[in-house]
Amino acid sequence: MFGVDVGGTFTDVVAIRDGRVEVTKVPSSRVDPAGSVVEGARRLGVAGSPVFNHASTMGLNAVLERRLPKIGFLATEGFRDILDRGTIHRPLDAQTDPAWRRTFGDVSRPLVPRYLRRGIRERKTARGETLFPLDEAQARHELEILGRTGVQGIAICLINAYVDPEHELRLAELVHEVLPGVEVSISSATSPLAKEYERASTTVIDVIMKLLFSDYAKQLDSELGALGFDGQLNFADCAANLLPWEEALERPFRILFAGPAAGTVSSGHLGRVIGRQHLLCADVGGTSTDVSIIVDGKPFVQNTFEIEHDLIINALSTEVSSVGAGGGSLVTVGTSGGLLVGPGSAGAEPGPACYGRGGTQPTVTDAVLLMGVLDPNGFAGGEFQLDASASEAAFLALDTPVPYDERIRTTYRLAVAHMAEEILNVAVRHGVDIRDFSLMAYGAAGGMLLPAALDLLPLKEVIVPPNPGLFSAIGLLSTDQVYYESESAYVVFGADTAEGIAAVYDRMEARLRERLGPVATGLPVRRSFDGRLVGQGWEIPFVQLPDGPVTAESLSAVIAAFHDAYEARNGNRFDAFPVEGVTYRVEIVVPAEKVDYALAAETEPFAATPEGTLTLSHVAAEPVQAEWYSRERLTTGATVVGPAVIREQLSTTYIPPGQQAVVGRVGEIVITQRKEGAK
Amino acid sequence: MEDHVQTFPRPQAERLYVERQPVAATCPECGGSDVRAYRVLSEGGWWQVEKCQDCLASLRRTPAPALGSYVPLGTTVPRETGR
Repeated sequence: MFGVDVGGTFTDVVAIRDGRVEVTKVPSSRVDPAGSVVEGARRLGVAGSPVFNHASTMGLNAVLERRLPKIGFLATEGFRDILDRGTIHRPLDAQTDPAWRRTFGDVSRPLVPRYLRRGIRERKTARGETLFPLDEAQARHELEILGRTGVQGIAICLINAYVDPEHELRLAELVHEVLPGVEVSISSATSPLAKEYERASTTVIDVIMKLLFSDYAKQLDSELGALGFDGQLNFADCAANLLPWEEALERPFRILFAGPAAGTVSSGHLGRVIGRQHLLCADVGGTSTDVSIIVDGKPFVQNTFEIEHDLIINALSTEVSSVGAGGGSLVTVGTSGGLLVGPGSAGAEPGPACYGRGGTQPTVTDAVLLMGVLDPNGFAGGEFQLDASASEAAFLALDTPVPYDERIRTTYRLAVAHMAEEILNVAVRHGVDIRDFSLMAYGAAGGMLLPAALDLLPLKEVIVPPNPGLFSAIGLLSTDQVYYESESAYVVFGADTAEGIAAVYDRMEARLRERLGPVATGLPVRRSFDGRLVGQGWEIPFVQLPDGPVTAESLSAVIAAFHDAYEARNGNRFDAFPVEGVTYRVEIVVPAEKVDYALAAETEPFAATPEGTLTLSHVAAEPVQAEWYSRERLTTGATVVGPAVIREQLSTTYIPPGQQAVVGRVGEIVITQRKEGAK
Repeated sequence: MEDHVQTFPRPQAERLYVERQPVAATCPECGGSDVRAYRVLSEGGWWQVEKCQDCLASLRRTPAPALGSYVPLGTTVPRETGR
């Protein structure tokens, strides 16, 4: 099985054969992005692999950096500026700043410049009636103008087209007539949901992604085929669900961004194997730490994805919060002379001072190296020689009254504190008791920093999974294919509307089963809706429908399910208020082949055998002697008492004083606080 | 009575409009040659623009003070901008 995570700097390719993980890193190429993936596949030998699961930040980076193809946008006359308007929300820190502008507004960095946004004379009412017929002559004129400007794609979002797509469908035909070869996305096919701004921005992103990914995916499929790959090429979406590549390209806005969600999915899969249902997941990268949550084995999925402030698309996505603290976070001096860690980062180039690539500012990695936790000769599988003297010089150069010893200790503690704060924020936001949760610590620096969070938060335990540095890429091999359909209709639930609601679900299910064909035979359909109390302007998403047909009699159970979901989310319920449905979803999950964690037999804990002893500096007032272990040689039940360091090829785990680690049945390291009096 | 309070005569033009001065240029976006210079009110205030009249692409766009040569003192005080 192959999983590939295409990042902005590196393309990580992971292959799992007979439970053995192989990995290669290829520099990502902007000129030939598919080339990096194919090169990685060639190195590890892709022939005979049943699946090749692909996640990429290529689309997201293109949007964030505005390296976009030239596209036009057609809206109902009078509505072409909805892309500038957004949802009108201002960020908290800009509430009183008159100079603040939306990042995607026309005066800053629009996705579609205003002259390429054109109004079309037509109007459908919210009930789908034609108020003004489509003015085809005017539409042709506008398309001819767009054609002269050389647009490569057209996004079409007409008001109320989610109720009746007639005008959008005709406009798409006109585009094909007037501008043959130009890609088109229409909102009623891309994301037929209410709320025109989100529908418009989703359609714009969709046509951009079509232009970015169409040739790329075809090239990938054919070149992997040339290497002997005859399995299924899947793309991961924003919730790390898999889609066959042809299906993904029908509505490619869904594959905009899959990286962080893959780590959450990986955590959920491992959690199921080792019996942990409540997880906080923290992916410690070079620049940031991404935190997500899994309750009862399920990640928290949102019905939208926010690319940047108020730039929203209607893609189902795993909720991930980020804090600017990671291995490469820079240490700086504040105005009062104290130390600050992050959010600035040394990045991959020049990287921390100890990389010896020209970085002169100290980072968290420099601090951990000086503490003695990192092995200067064995970093990143021996790929780097770390230069401790460069780290020392960088810390000495800081213009601060803080003593040298304290600078290093404080850097480590501040980095951990930032991460712990974000983990606590996520837990509080979801109203969960952190004592019931295990913290899954991954990313190459996860095991190095996060066990210390146990000293700050009353977590149940910290779990460092096998191959923590590759855990997100392994997530691409821990997930299923998920197909879904959605539609919007504002309907107040009652006996008289049950028939209409049932018709919406039946229609969507028939469409979904027709799309999937024999693959879907025998698989159940999961139904849900986004609903609200009548009069509210926001929805409770993903209210699950009870099994069975929707009828006047069964609707009371649907309404009760809404009130239960409302209470779970908001802490109170209003049974007397009528419920209004807004968006309806059906979903079919097609199981995919996944990474298999082999469970070793349960063993009584025993003291692990250390490889040697090392001296940890700056941990306490005096240097501390600690033992170090090789993770490859630790078997189930092996127990390590902190302070200790566990080293593996691409990662290091640091067990602080007062903690102990036990190796679990799939090789995971489970770290807890030592009970007082334990020996 | 009304004649006394009316300081200016009633406009004869059907609507107010800004004169659009022709500019000798070719639109780099669509190749059109009808480029004109005029003021527009857009996000961020008034702008002096040179726009293609076919595709409406802006060839030039510079801030134009709304009050002509009069510059209110408050606008000259430096402040944090650029977000």
